[in-house]
Amino acid sequence: MSTGSLVVDVHHRTRTHYAARVDVAYHIAHLSPVHDATQQVLGHGLNIDPLPARRHAQRDAFGNLRTSFTIDAPHDEFVVDARSRVLLAPATAPVDAGNSPPWEQVAESMRYVYGGRYEPVSEFVFASPLVPLLPQGRSYAGELFVPGRPWLDLAFDLMHAVHGDLQYVPGATDVHTSLEAVFAQRRGVCQDYAHLMIGVLRAHGLPARYVSGYLLTRPAPGQPRLLGADASHAWVQVWCPVQGWVDLDPTNDRVPHLSHVRLAVGRDYSDVPPLRGVIRGGGEHRLEVAVSVIPEGESDVSPG
Amino acid sequence: MAQTHFSFDLPDDVAALVAALALPARAGHYDLLRSPDGGLRDGWRSFFAQLGVAGVHDLERRAEVLARHIREDGVTYNVYTDEGGPQRPWSLDLLPTLIGPQEWAGVEAGVVQRASLLAKIMGDVYGEQRLLRAGLLPPALVFGNPGYLRPLVGAQPAEGLLLHIVGFDLARAPDGRWWVVAQRTQAPSGLGYVLQNRLIVSRLFPEAFRELNVQRLASAYRRLLDTLDRMSPRDDGERGAARIVLLTPGPYNETYFEHAYLARYLGIPLVEGGDLAVRDERVYLKTLYGLERVHAILRRLDDDFCDPLELRADSTLGVPGLLQAIRAGQVLVANALGSGFLESPAIHGFLPAIAQHLQGSELLLPSLNTWWCGESAAYAAVADRLHDKVVKPTYAATPSRPSFDTQIGATMSEAARRVLRERIAADPDAYAVQDYLPLPQTPTWGTGRLQPRAAMLRVYAISDGAGGWHALPGGMTRVAGREQMIVSMQRGGSSQDIWVQTEGPVDQYSMLPEALRPEDIEGRRRVVSSRSAENLYWMGRYAERAEFSARLLRAVLALLPDEARGAAPLLEALGQLSVAYRLVPPGTPSPAQSLAVFERTLIAGLAGTGEHEGGVEFNLESLLRTAGQLRERLSGDHWRLLVGSVDSFRETRRRAQADGVLSVDEALTVLRELSVHLHAVTGAQTDHMTHDDGWRLMTIGRQIERLASQAHALAVLFTTGAVQRDEGFDLLLVLFDSTITYRSLYQRALEMPAVIDLLVQEQTNPRALARVVHVLRRELDRLPRDPSFPAVRLPAPGEWPSLAQLCAQEGEGHFAALVDFADSLAGIAYTLSDEIVARYFSHAAGFRAVNA
Repeated sequence: MSTGSLVVDVHHRTRTHYAARVDVAYHIAHLSPVHDATQQVLGHGLNIDPLPARRHAQRDAFGNLRTSFTIDAPHDEFVVDARSRVLLAPATAPVDAGNSPPWEQVAESMRYVYGGRYEPVSEFVFASPLVPLLPQGRSYAGELFVPGRPWLDLAFDLMHAVHGDLQYVPGATDVHTSLEAVFAQRRGVCQDYAHLMIGVLRAHGLPARYVSGYLLTRPAPGQPRLLGADASHAWVQVWCPVQGWVDLDPTNDRVPHLSHVRLAVGRDYSDVPPLRGVIRGGGEHRLEVAVSVIPEGESDVSPG
Repeated sequence: MAQTHFSFDLPDDVAALVAALALPARAGHYDLLRSPDGGLRDGWRSFFAQLGVAGVHDLERRAEVLARHIREDGVTYNVYTDEGGPQRPWSLDLLPTLIGPQEWAGVEAGVVQRASLLAKIMGDVYGEQRLLRAGLLPPALVFGNPGYLRPLVGAQPAEGLLLHIVGFDLARAPDGRWWVVAQRTQAPSGLGYVLQNRLIVSRLFPEAFRELNVQRLASAYRRLLDTLDRMSPRDDGERGAARIVLLTPGPYNETYFEHAYLARYLGIPLVEGGDLAVRDERVYLKTLYGLERVHAILRRLDDDFCDPLELRADSTLGVPGLLQAIRAGQVLVANALGSGFLESPAIHGFLPAIAQHLQGSELLLPSLNTWWCGESAAYAAVADRLHDKVVKPTYAATPSRPSFDTQIGATMSEAARRVLRERIAADPDAYAVQDYLPLPQTPTWGTGRLQPRAAMLRVYAISDGAGGWHALPGGMTRVAGREQMIVSMQRGGSSQDIWVQTEGPVDQYSMLPEALRPEDIEGRRRVVSSRSAENLYWMGRYAERAEFSARLLRAVLALLPDEARGAAPLLEALGQLSVAYRLVPPGTPSPAQSLAVFERTLIAGLAGTGEHEGGVEFNLESLLRTAGQLRERLSGDHWRLLVGSVDSFRETRRRAQADGVLSVDEALTVLRELSVHLHAVTGAQTDHMTHDDGWRLMTIGRQIERLASQAHALAVLFTTGAVQRDEGFDLLLVLFDSTITYRSLYQRALEMPAVIDLLVQEQTNPRALARVVHVLRRELDRLPRDPSFPAVRLPAPGEWPSLAQLCAQEGEGHFAALVDFADSLAGIAYTLSDEIVARYFSHAAGFRAVNA
């Protein structure tokens, strides 16, 4: 695994064609990458066509930058074009899966005790709109939950298990597919991998959250092409009292390293869809999404 | 008017009579009627002393009067499953719930303290979150509660106040202590029913109401309006009263009646989500004049549904962009969104410590003892004692976590309790255990007796917007059905008016507005929302159509048996008109083909046994339905008139066909009575409604319908030639409601130029087409509009054909010019209607969610 840092250019373009005219549209975008110690946003631009009457950028409850805007000019085509230049600067030391308290201890620390210590990350052990607490989550890969195991060690193994168990089938699910259905059919896309893994962890009282983001379009030399590289991607973060939030990508069975760009974090997809909206009019709509994430200076395989 | 004596001497004969009528209360419950020694409690002693023996004997009659008021005022309570079905009358008991001055002082102090506490918790949770950090509030009850709305984190509204009205459900333990059972912070229901209940019950007991010194309610409602007005955000330089609207889920909501009632009482527009629009982070009301700024929303819509963009995407009841307007501080929403987590039963267990922490005091009005199962130490203490507890859901139901009904341990088998414990162990956060409280028993009036029933009191605290809270001195007791342990209006319970007695003078304030400032008057043009305008327009059309179809049916039925026989042109005209106005379904054999079948089908249509939609009853129902969505604009008398018309139509019809058949004679009687009622409705619409732009649209609707139906009838009767004979000629006069006028001018003569003049040209005849067009042009001119509207041209006086032109015949009896002109007028009427709908009402189209 290579170390060091990498600057990438992200280009995410969403074009929507409406069969009938849209009179007015309200949208919210989560398209501005996370800016923190290990990922720095060097530049970001969000172009919207038609030009919104009003646009407003704010932090959401999870600290993500979100842009809300209103288009009140009638339109039958709608384009959101997001370009970002991001410096990926991961910590020099790789994640040490063994350096983590026993998983039961972490789960216990999330439980409320009257007058006890407040644990803010316990926000991520509760059910969320798309990740209910299910018996299937409680029983899934039960053999991994051996008492006393280091928590991250367990989380890595769960990632392997989910990767091995689920089949990556684009189109097998959509945004309305329930987690129960994913447990039953064991097929889906990155979002389903992430939700299922989060659901299993939370069913044991363990803190896990959803990451919306991108993969490098072309793998680094010697690396395999990753699943989900042609669109936005999703994976999981688990919280370790020693090492903080740790990224795990069950779709590709790996710890992201100079390969993933984080857009936003939330309890599940419903907190951070890249683009959501409410429109009046429009009829049927057709969506074209194109994403490219390439190292700075390489030729742009610009989408669309 | 100082009087402080509350205990009146109760004559022995009254006491004996009451004792004989009162059934015993359930043992182990607090009896609101009698003390443990068997004597009446003070309030009731006074109440029955006022009533006297005669009054007690009169109770049954008053109960009947009450039922009639409920019915006539159209007080309803719908259950969601009834959608489209009949509205259920509101259930109100004859007797009030009495609360004495000292008792009320305790309740008031407790309610005020609690409301203030809840507002502080709400402010903290959406602000600094110190309670979470101090370990006083479990994260699961905030972050784990779907009622906690992340999009509003950090959204501090004007003056930092997030709660404005809080509702509390109270009960008294067997020892008389008051307990808080539940608290309602999102959109507490009942403030409209409280008013309606008070209006009805106080009038049934005027002397007792006066002598018991019952505190009045109006000031509390005025305060609510003042608070909202004061706290409303305004743009720089914006003056005058804030525009406040009441946001309702709409007529299918169970408590829609009270939304309309409250809006009318407060004098604010009743709006649905579709009536509001967010532009530039401000909220606007869609009106006939375009968008008008809204400063405050008193909402009766639950949190989830308020903004499909950021909350429930499938909500069609909300306002897209509302949350952004809230975050921008451009609109006040009362109560603020996101208070749902305060309604969790589990939170009660944490309130005592929070009260100590925030207020340095104990709760004056305690909650029932509550153990949240997510706190393992707390649950361990009660896990084996569920037999005398109740188990409630911590969280309101969501699509991914269904909720459950309250489980009463005492009514469960040990096996069932074991199953319950297993369910709790699987998801402890989702369960809360509470002490079981035997509900107090309130006396109700039923089948001639005083019947004790389980009761829960709903009271309210209202903020003054400056940190203070006031209890509404009254409220609503919810009464369980017989043998029920749970009170629920949804499950067929009833209600009582709460009379709070005061020792001081009663507050004589009424909702009459304060002295108006000039800027108030300038801005006083009444707002007509697009939706109201649309309903008013259709109300006008349906009223006219109901009248016309009843008149037509009456005339057809009268003609069919004898006069029409053998008169082919007349039969043809009757057939065409009957189909056109849906008196018979399309495809019915024409009268010329089978007179008997045709007549039977007509009668079946009226009898309500036919299979088609349309006709007289359909028009009546449509009239009532559109009026039902305008309750906040119609006077009580007007509404009663409408309901009375439909009721009496059905009642006379029912009596007429008591023998199983509706004869032609009987049908004519039914229609004659209906016609009298509909005349009264027309009168109410014409003379008793403010002539604002809403009324104007109603009038336009009526005139468009009149123009279309009369012009069409004229064309049919002339085209078929039916008008050439007496019966057809008379029918034409009947359909134009102009028989008397014609006869007074021309007696029995059958003069074509005369009838064309009277029905088409004569400006003094309100039915004449020229007059109808004149009124339409006049009212259209007064509507807010562009010069280019409407595109369709109503003929101006100078363009109107002369009588000679209209009387021109192409061959004997063929009034081609007249028929063409009538046809063109009917066509113009329909085109104009389409234009009006598109121009003034098109706003109401729905939103839908899209994701990428």
